[in-house]
Amino acid sequence: MYRDMGLVNTPPLSAQDDAALLALVKRGDEQAMATLFDRYSKVVYSVALRVLRDPASAEDILQEVFMQVWRSPDGFVATRGSLGGWLAVVARNRSIDALRRKKPMDQVEDMALAAPFNLANEAERNNMMERARGIIVKLPVEQRKTLEMAFFDGLTHSEIAEMTGDPLGTVKTRIRSALTTLRKAFQA
Amino acid sequence: MSATRHIEREDLALFAMQLLPKDEHALIAAHVAQCAECGQALAEVQGDFAVYAHTVDMHSPPAQAKERLMKQVAREKKTVPVERVATPPLEFVGRSEGTYRTGLGSGAYLAEEEPKRNWAAKVFPWVGWAVAAAVAVVAGNLYHERDALLSRMTAQAGRLDQVSADAAAAKQVMEAMTDPAAKHVTLTKAPSTPTPPVPQGRATYVAEKGTLIFLASNMEPLQPYKTYELWLIPADGRDPIPAGTFHPDERGNASVILPPLPKGIEAKAFGVTVEDEGGSQTPTMPIIMAGN
Repeated sequence: MYRDMGLVNTPPLSAQDDAALLALVKRGDEQAMATLFDRYSKVVYSVALRVLRDPASAEDILQEVFMQVWRSPDGFVATRGSLGGWLAVVARNRSIDALRRKKPMDQVEDMALAAPFNLANEAERNNMMERARGIIVKLPVEQRKTLEMAFFDGLTHSEIAEMTGDPLGTVKTRIRSALTTLRKAFQA
Repeated sequence: MSATRHIEREDLALFAMQLLPKDEHALIAAHVAQCAECGQALAEVQGDFAVYAHTVDMHSPPAQAKERLMKQVAREKKTVPVERVATPPLEFVGRSEGTYRTGLGSGAYLAEEEPKRNWAAKVFPWVGWAVAAAVAVVAGNLYHERDALLSRMTAQAGRLDQVSADAAAAKQVMEAMTDPAAKHVTLTKAPSTPTPPVPQGRATYVAEKGTLIFLASNMEPLQPYKTYELWLIPADGRDPIPAGTFHPDERGNASVILPPLPKGIEAKAFGVTVEDEGGSQTPTMPIIMAGN
């Protein structure tokens, strides 16, 4: 209320970090919710669209994920701008669930995530995206395809092994190698 | 799978992507809940996936998506207890003993953050209260200022109404006095024998403000290119001051309302002369009407 009246000298919502916005959401601040939507709706929608390949279904996931934030802001662990990463992963998981038409396997509260990036900052987020894309493009094609099939298409390692003709262990190793390369490139 | 035997990274990745069979998934979930090391490893894997998720081609959601969300948000409005209004700590604390910590970064990241977390845990609750107190003081001051402003506004509005009413009355008076359709009647003692009407003039003058109103009746019509001129004759012996020209209407009525005059000139008398059209700076004799 005080912020609405301009009585408190706080930064504009668009400049506040995720934890502050989540705290406002917890108090029922709809404008804070709108700011979070502006900040992360694009990535959530894009991930859902990539998995589901259907705009209407992707929009449903978008609504579902953000309503989850509204209903249970405590469920999201706000460690230094990781909310964006978290939402991206949740969007992926919900989309895979929708693809398989099954109930969510995990409660979102149970998912911890390490993201040493400040994804709340648009410039840093864009920079991270560009770097990640550059790294993924340089991965060996079989690693890249395997990771893509598992993460975005939701195929199990058995299904991937069946489709590619690779042994199960190889599929697992490729996924791990791809992730290790990604992480090391960011740590370098 | 036991607490001492940690889960392979490959399996953690599949677990994070929810690609394992149900029973295997449940086993890993149970282990991770009790093993801090595997919990941290899982958090790192999830962080990797978060980065990977951002490599998709970006598409903006449809414009109505936000509207739809905000409508749903409005439908599910929250009611928050007053005591929860203070800003909560910016970081979430770890889970209960025996479960893995949430939101973990790399080892180095954790090592850097630990002291800050302790400091923040001590300070932030007080910061919240301090901010709340400051806000309360500021809000109180602003509330009083707002009240004072409202009172002033109300008083000003009342004065404005009064001024408007006065202006309307003055305008009405002016219109009545200068309206050519107005009938001007001067009442005098009834004469025993009828006499023709004589020209009459009434001047109302306020020296301090330089305000003059002159009304005349029974004025004789003038020749073309001639005009009546009113004169203020100062009490201090200075030359007469022209106080405006006028032409009577067909009924002999005329007026001079608020001619431009200097303020503070005491009047000894007023006079009327006949001048050429356009008026004069000095009176032309004779003075056909005079009064003091």
